[in-house]
Amino acid sequence: MASGIRDKVAIIGMGCTRFGERWDCGPEELMVEAFNEALTDSGVSRDQIEMAWLGLFFQEQSAGKSGLPLSMALRLPNIPVTRVENMCATGTEALRGAVYAVAAGACDIAMAVGVEKLKDTGYPGLPERSKGTFDDLWLPNATAPGAFAQLASAYQAKHGCDSIDLKRAMAHISVKSHDNGLLNPKAHLRRAITEEQAMNAPMIAAPLGLYDCCGVSDGAACAIVTSVEKAKEMGIKDMITVKAMQLAPSNGFEMSTTDWDGSYLQTTRIAAARAYKEAGITDPIKQLDMTEVHDCFSVTELVVMEDLGLCEEGGAIKAVLDGKFDKDGEVPCQIDGGLKCFGHPIGASGLRMAYEIYLQLQGKAGERQLDNPSMGLTHNLGGHPFRNVASVSVLGLHSE
Amino acid sequence: MSYGILSFGAYVPSLRLDRKAVFEAVGWATPNLKGLASGERSVANWDEDAITMAVESGLDCLADTGFAVPHICMASTTFPFSDRSNSGLVADALNLQRSIATEDFGGSRRAGTSALSRALSNNESTLMIASDCREAQPGSVQEMNYGHGSACVLLGEGKPVAEFLSSSSEHEDLIDQYRANGIEYDYSLEERWVREEGWLKIAPDAMQGAASKAGIELSEIDHFVVHGNGGAVAALSKKLGIERSRFADDLKATCGDTGAAHPFLMLSNVLSNAGAGETVMLVGFGQGVDALLIKTTDHLTTGRQGRGAERFIARRRATSNYTFYLSLRQRLSLDFGLRAERDNRTALSAFYRKRRDINAMIGGRCSNCDALQYPKSIICVSCGTSDSQVEESLSGLTGRVKSFTEDWLAYTPSPPYIYGNVEFDGGANVMLEFTDFEPGSLRTGDEIRLAFRVKDRDEKRKFHRYFWKPAPLTRL
Repeated sequence: MASGIRDKVAIIGMGCTRFGERWDCGPEELMVEAFNEALTDSGVSRDQIEMAWLGLFFQEQSAGKSGLPLSMALRLPNIPVTRVENMCATGTEALRGAVYAVAAGACDIAMAVGVEKLKDTGYPGLPERSKGTFDDLWLPNATAPGAFAQLASAYQAKHGCDSIDLKRAMAHISVKSHDNGLLNPKAHLRRAITEEQAMNAPMIAAPLGLYDCCGVSDGAACAIVTSVEKAKEMGIKDMITVKAMQLAPSNGFEMSTTDWDGSYLQTTRIAAARAYKEAGITDPIKQLDMTEVHDCFSVTELVVMEDLGLCEEGGAIKAVLDGKFDKDGEVPCQIDGGLKCFGHPIGASGLRMAYEIYLQLQGKAGERQLDNPSMGLTHNLGGHPFRNVASVSVLGLHSE
Repeated sequence: MSYGILSFGAYVPSLRLDRKAVFEAVGWATPNLKGLASGERSVANWDEDAITMAVESGLDCLADTGFAVPHICMASTTFPFSDRSNSGLVADALNLQRSIATEDFGGSRRAGTSALSRALSNNESTLMIASDCREAQPGSVQEMNYGHGSACVLLGEGKPVAEFLSSSSEHEDLIDQYRANGIEYDYSLEERWVREEGWLKIAPDAMQGAASKAGIELSEIDHFVVHGNGGAVAALSKKLGIERSRFADDLKATCGDTGAAHPFLMLSNVLSNAGAGETVMLVGFGQGVDALLIKTTDHLTTGRQGRGAERFIARRRATSNYTFYLSLRQRLSLDFGLRAERDNRTALSAFYRKRRDINAMIGGRCSNCDALQYPKSIICVSCGTSDSQVEESLSGLTGRVKSFTEDWLAYTPSPPYIYGNVEFDGGANVMLEFTDFEPGSLRTGDEIRLAFRVKDRDEKRKFHRYFWKPAPLTRL
């Protein structure tokens, strides 16, 4: 009987670059920067790393296919490097590969690196992704904001809420993330905005305005993991361990049946339920001290609060406006600024979320440090609400 | 059962360009256009062409007929493809039977009336569609005069709304206008010459010829469908001694001249309003004349009345924005940014595998759980049964908007790019690109129909791919 991943694997080192428009850096520089921080943090030597996973989404725009970009950039000693790609869940997928390898006993020390170099396209926003030869014939050439904006129209239709209330709650989410990002030296966007600015910003895809959309950033993040036994041998105290890592991709339910109303994220609900079970979480509001969720757009974060069970269905507008997910709220969300302000180099984002929780659990988060957190959640949503890959991970202080 | 015209259909795009706005924009250079600066003309949306309009009029014509079409003809001077069966694609989009003969007729504005004359003379069972989407040089007389549209008739054995009496054709190489191969615009000669030498000398012979064959006098004919420019109708009326009221409205004020489609478009209005037992003479013009004489039957008054182009002419979206029109019709190259550089190469072998899924929007209905899904798949999305799906076209379904957005980031020739989830009355849910909606007009819960449109243009390889898009549901 499989017992899940809970408390089997420890994260012993992490690194994350400053995210942003890194005009002077390519993927090579970004990967090396994140790796060097993680290696120093871990105290292991590079030759002790036995396997590696590389997360990279838009290979055409930056480093190309395969595990080679990582192996070449770090001059790794010919260890296995696997490149993974699962849209915006890519970074978490890289971590999952490394964590599972250690848990399987295939190696003692494994590494995950996520990287994305988005700012070589010549235009703002994400590059268009390929849809394959058949979908190209019929699916709309949707952009990410256009796809996620529909969460808002469907949410509003389902709950009969006022469009201004919804827009205000979305603005609150963005204002909160900007406030948080201000305290994070590695964040892409470091300036406060007002609710009024957010609500009156130019429209990108109705009803999402400029400040409802996250930053498009360059960046990389890295994690070095080992088994709990090995970490003990290494004398690591206050160990951070993986409590759950779950992934739920769509199977067509949202897009091809009439059972989905478009107002929530089906896969997030499934991944969350599995992750809570794996981590032994029965009351997420009480047990989780922080969340880093996939706030690619303000409305995504709003809906995800419900999908993760952090507020009741239809109650997100009120919970958000009441400050439940603010820095000093019941379950702070995006204490590092989130995708919104830390930035969103796609392949690195899942690992960046883990990085923030890793820092917070160790009390190393500087000005934005929370009060003694012991468990946090990361969430990614790759793709679009109607067809996506959701990942939910839980990290926490190790318990025997 | 007898042979004749079983049904007719029409289509005029909803967009109308105010001719005054054209004159205001270009009159500084072409003051001679002032006399034409009244009324409005129809304009195809950026994703419409002769093929998509042909599909629209075909759908209008075939609605509720249940007729198994064995032969389809398409007449146009603006076929999107010079070598790819245009009528074949229309047949696919109309989801007609696969054992069907397809024919494209071009080369003249009377390609449609000539083909119709032959088909009627030989009792051929065919869907005869005429469709034209002629572009005009900015500031030209044609820009003022032309419109875009399509109309068609269904011929066969059944309960005809009109029967064929006779036809007559004359050929004269009077080049009133021409368009050489590979050239975008028509080159037109002086209208007075065309009227005097063409309409008044060639047309009467063909018209008289058809009347004589049917053993009636021209003066006995109830309706004349004549679409000449520059006072041709008035001159013809005077010369033949037939009062003007018997000549059908040429739709100049409301639609413009739709080229090869125009005789058919005008005919649809005449049939729509005619009573039983009335005679109609249809005249096609262009390097000669076709004259066809038909007579309506009792069946007209029990089914197809009120089904002419006037319904589409009444359903309109007006614009006075001349640069909007120019850009939609690719007469003006605006800078749409780097996102417009997207490579729209179509994998034609992949398209071939899925051609029916795309052309007729064939989805699959699970024979186990009844769930309708698009695209169809091997394994049912609802119950997981394998190989259980029976082909079913979604193209005729109506539906409701579940979620949507107006996207100002994505590239489209007509921003914003509107798309969303649609729940169909057949029980399927599909994410689709919308068309013909004004920005700010769409709401969740709105009803839609599907329209066959250009999905993307591959500017590099000059290939247009087509698919179905939700459009406003107007009950015509």
